[in-house]
Amino acid sequence: MNKIWNRLFYRKASGTLTGAGDAGRACGADGENGTRKRYREASRRTEQSCPQSRKAEKNSGVKRSSAAEMKKSCGTKRCGAPGTLARAAALAAGAAMLLWDVSGITVQAGQGVPYETYNYDYYEDIKYTPAAYVPDGIVTGAQIGCGNLAGPQDLNTDEDGNVYIADTNNNRIVVTDKDFRLLRVIEEFERDGKKETFSAPNGVYVSARGNLYIADTNNMRVVELDGAGKLVQVIENPRSEVLEEGYVFHPMKVAVDYADRVYVIAQNQFEGIMAFNELGEFLGFTGTINVQITPWEIFWRRFSTKEQRARQQLFIPTEFTGMEIDSDGFVYATNVDGEGKQSVRRLNPSGEDVIQKKEGGLSGDLDWRIAGTYSGPSRIVDVVVRNQGIYSILDSVRGRIFTYDHEGNLLYIFGGLGSQEGTFTGPVAIDTIGEEILVLDATRNLVNRFRATSYGSLINQAVGLRYDGDEVQAVECWREVLKLDSNFELAYVGIGKSYLAAGQNKEAMECFRTGNSKQYYSIAYKRYRNELLKENMGTILTSLIVLVILWMIWSKFGKKLWKKRRVSHV
Amino acid sequence: MFKEKLKYAFYTIGHPADGFYEIRHRGQGSVPLALLFVFLFGLCFSANRQYAGFVVNYVNPMEINSFAEMLSVFVLFFLFCVGNWSITCLMNGEGRLKDIVTVCGYSMLPMILTFVPAIILSRFVVADEEAFYFIIMGFGIAWFLLLVLSGVMTVHNYTLGKTLLTIIFTFVAMLIIVFIAMLLYTLLSQVVSFFVSIYNELMLRI
Repeated sequence: MNKIWNRLFYRKASGTLTGAGDAGRACGADGENGTRKRYREASRRTEQSCPQSRKAEKNSGVKRSSAAEMKKSCGTKRCGAPGTLARAAALAAGAAMLLWDVSGITVQAGQGVPYETYNYDYYEDIKYTPAAYVPDGIVTGAQIGCGNLAGPQDLNTDEDGNVYIADTNNNRIVVTDKDFRLLRVIEEFERDGKKETFSAPNGVYVSARGNLYIADTNNMRVVELDGAGKLVQVIENPRSEVLEEGYVFHPMKVAVDYADRVYVIAQNQFEGIMAFNELGEFLGFTGTINVQITPWEIFWRRFSTKEQRARQQLFIPTEFTGMEIDSDGFVYATNVDGEGKQSVRRLNPSGEDVIQKKEGGLSGDLDWRIAGTYSGPSRIVDVVVRNQGIYSILDSVRGRIFTYDHEGNLLYIFGGLGSQEGTFTGPVAIDTIGEEILVLDATRNLVNRFRATSYGSLINQAVGLRYDGDEVQAVECWREVLKLDSNFELAYVGIGKSYLAAGQNKEAMECFRTGNSKQYYSIAYKRYRNELLKENMGTILTSLIVLVILWMIWSKFGKKLWKKRRVSHV
Repeated sequence: MFKEKLKYAFYTIGHPADGFYEIRHRGQGSVPLALLFVFLFGLCFSANRQYAGFVVNYVNPMEINSFAEMLSVFVLFFLFCVGNWSITCLMNGEGRLKDIVTVCGYSMLPMILTFVPAIILSRFVVADEEAFYFIIMGFGIAWFLLLVLSGVMTVHNYTLGKTLLTIIFTFVAMLIIVFIAMLLYTLLSQVVSFFVSIYNELMLRI
């Protein structure tokens, strides 16, 4: 008995210890080992094709076997009381699986990044991918040389890569060059001979002409300064019949297009983005999001009393959170979508949304936990428009950055919450310098820098080439992408298109099938079918004639036989 | 014998009122044959998920489990039969459980007959032709529903209104059966785990 006890004890002890360590490292605080394993298995194909992660796999071999050990010890029913505990843990993991989530601060073994990098496939399943972007250092106010930042809320870059940070709680704007060397600090400006300061500036934007626009929130105005810091104009106190009497203007975010029209997101302004002309006159609202009430809500409101209705949530449109202007002068604006369907819009000059989206929508994560920490749909707080129709959006619930192409295909996901380099606690703004991505963290008062890996830049390049119409060149990139991540569906579609153009319909079909593009598969299959029919017309017609003759013979002689054997059954 | 029964099944799906009446009163039906039809339908249902052409198939191939799908067809079939039987017993239905099983089984024949060509066709269609596939499938399903309706009506000697009412009640009964089964399962597993833990305690303490 003693022997058995010892064996059980040792097995259990070593099992749970390493197991716990592994769970802690690989799964964060969630203990969803089973789920992760399942997905890891699914993504193994990817990992095997990627030399980088193959090495990683070797490194993490120990970890994986210990996870298996833990599973074994959980499954051992003879463990007695500790066994029950382990089973409870397994149950809890099962429960976590039920509320499937993509949450938590997790480290994918061996990739060397403090967050998970994954993508959703056609069936909205998670496929782990190599990291498209990796952390490339952090920049604090002290490193810039202007003293610590305090609750910075916005960050913007101009064409030269100069960075403008709205250092909100310090009431100043910090300007640096692209290597984060301090250029100047704007704390005040001269207006009518008097020095004026900012009060909690929440937004900053540099126009194409190099003028600086500052959303000076608590002073209820937008300040425009020229490159030398001299005041150009102040937009304040907008008046119009569409604004209520005594409207108080609290600008949060500001953006300016090539014609110097100023777009402002104001606090508690649900009617849309406020547009001003170059003289600072209020033009009206743009991009109003219509309220959507589900039949279910209408049904409930019917049956509720007046008092109940008064206490119910108001049906108000969502507020916009961040803005950016693309090279065509269209406004990209993010908003909070409680349903997780569309959190980014592209507004044309008349204020209509013209963004292209796929079935998964444009709202970051497709799957999320219903309750608990890191639950709910992604809360998109800012957007950055990059080259060739690519744009990235920043999620503050799970600290992730989702990058889409101009058709709304999700390209890659990276980033996470945490306190390591490359993770955030309060991400508020995102921008780029070239291919580099900057994310401003308002809680930790620093800027996170990310640089593209070869995987990331290959995707950027391929998508860019496709956007420019150079599909042939793009194929080379897609092939390289597939070497790193064989689950990347867009790459198969890209390669398939080139086959289609070359008339290799069968190969194209294969590619579109792997890439799960029913639309293009149909085109390729139709051509292939026609081809087959044309080639085999002779055979088909001949066999048809033969069949007809056979049938005629049968109807002449077979009927007699049939009549003899026929049995009436009714 | 079997051949005649099979022929009769084909006759029934074309002439449901007559066919089901004979099944009820003259013993023309066959329960094994009905079960065979259910099995074949399970096969077709699963095959449709797995082998329907890429253009019309939205099922994640990683989630296909033929065994589970066929099992669920059988479970639903028996649930419906038992539910319908228990309701019609209380509502002056004339049909026996045997008749209900036969009716439901025979009604699945049109779906078997349409699913197979639909699956074959679906492998040769492109995006704008997928309507053909869905029309064939829809036709089979509509035929099935009509057969079940007229079958239940005939074997129990009900009016149409009463048939619809009993079918609604049948679904309620199915829910109740599932609820009780789950309750039983949970309670039993509690009892089992109680004895298992007693056994474990004893084994570890002796």
